[in-house]
Amino acid sequence: MLLLSSIDAAFAHGVATGDKGYIQESSGILIIPFIYLGAKHMVTGYDHLLFLFGVIFFLYRLKDVGLYVTLFAVGHSVTLLLGVLSNISVSAYVVDAIIGFSVVYKALDNLGAFPRWFGFQPNTKIATLLFGLMHGFGLATKIQDFDISPDGLLVNLIAFNVGVEIGQILALSAILILMAFWRRSIHFMRHAYTANVTMMSLGFLLMGYQISGLILAQ
Amino acid sequence: MYNTQNLSQPQPSAGQLVRSTITALIVAMILLVCVVLPSEYAVDPTGAGRLLGLTEMGEIKQQLAEEAAADSARSEVLTATPVITSTTATPTPTKTVTAPAVTQPTSAPIVETETAVTKPEPVKPAPKSKTVSFVLKPGQGAEIKLEMKQNARVNYSWSANGGKLNYDTHGDPYDAPKGFYHGYGKGRFVPGESGKLKAAFDGKHGWFWRNRTKQDVTMTLEVSGDFIQLKRVI
Repeated sequence: MLLLSSIDAAFAHGVATGDKGYIQESSGILIIPFIYLGAKHMVTGYDHLLFLFGVIFFLYRLKDVGLYVTLFAVGHSVTLLLGVLSNISVSAYVVDAIIGFSVVYKALDNLGAFPRWFGFQPNTKIATLLFGLMHGFGLATKIQDFDISPDGLLVNLIAFNVGVEIGQILALSAILILMAFWRRSIHFMRHAYTANVTMMSLGFLLMGYQISGLILAQ
Repeated sequence: MYNTQNLSQPQPSAGQLVRSTITALIVAMILLVCVVLPSEYAVDPTGAGRLLGLTEMGEIKQQLAEEAAADSARSEVLTATPVITSTTATPTPTKTVTAPAVTQPTSAPIVETETAVTKPEPVKPAPKSKTVSFVLKPGQGAEIKLEMKQNARVNYSWSANGGKLNYDTHGDPYDAPKGFYHGYGKGRFVPGESGKLKAAFDGKHGWFWRNRTKQDVTMTLEVSGDFIQLKRVI
């Protein structure tokens, strides 16, 4: 079988570099490295962060923040494990486009568009859980691309998932501090409108980027 | 107003926010030094990365990056064909220049590469066999290539002699384009492997091994069949 590597991936004797290279060179249970990789994935995954930013935009009580983040975490943990262990492969472009849509949805939700347009407010908790499931498929697709050794797979996946949560907590802490500064401003509500419209625009941009990738990529 | 509850929530005080910011900054710095730098660059000033098993990841990443850079540099050298400018002296009418006689180079220019620029005369290699053995230290890699014609076959058997090795069996045509990869199979932490290798094209075909264990590993390779020469490349 002929394998032609893509030009942009750096190869040494057909070995990938970076995180993927490390994973392909390793075998067995590696809990802390996988926790690190999961956290890195989350902190550098701007699409996930954008959605989370939308989720906590109007959440003031730490209890509420915790509840919504837990819902999101439960959602993506389920599909991450399910996707990798049962080898369900969804097109990364489709999943990432849905993640882009989730950002658009959350921005509209924050702007109160649904009651105004459709006369009802969809349950924000259920929406967060559902989009969590979608984000998990995105993570699963990226992990499958890593080609993890079957030796120690389950433990390493759980470690990766724990890492994703740690990364989420770190990123959220930073976002919450910035939001707190911002909320102290008397203009916050006016800014909030602009911010959510901007977020929606970024969500549309992500969708367009992924859909064009789906069409253009061979 | 939006989808929120009331906005008259108690706001954190300015002092509290400043404290939170400083805490966040300190946490970030600690993570940078103890976790991120070891994991990405194998830079571990505190020793925490080694303890957590993260420095090893950084070392592997650095090693792979260096090897990839060396690899692409090598392939650039290989694909750079020597330029032979045939200097035909055109006689100038104004004055005669006493120049040393230009002789056509009789031998091909010597290029220090493992790739024969000019294809060798078709040789009918008699089936031969060869055994190679060497020690790989932890983290060390080695590559052995057989020069083979298309569809030539060899029987091979390699063993880590009780240890375990990562391997990648692949072939390169004589002037492989950048990024070319043709794999025959790969594995992680394998005690050994044997089988038949049939060359998919004229070129060099063989094995890259890497010792990712903590102990020295002795690698032994036995090859027999239709190959022109065997060479340890790395």
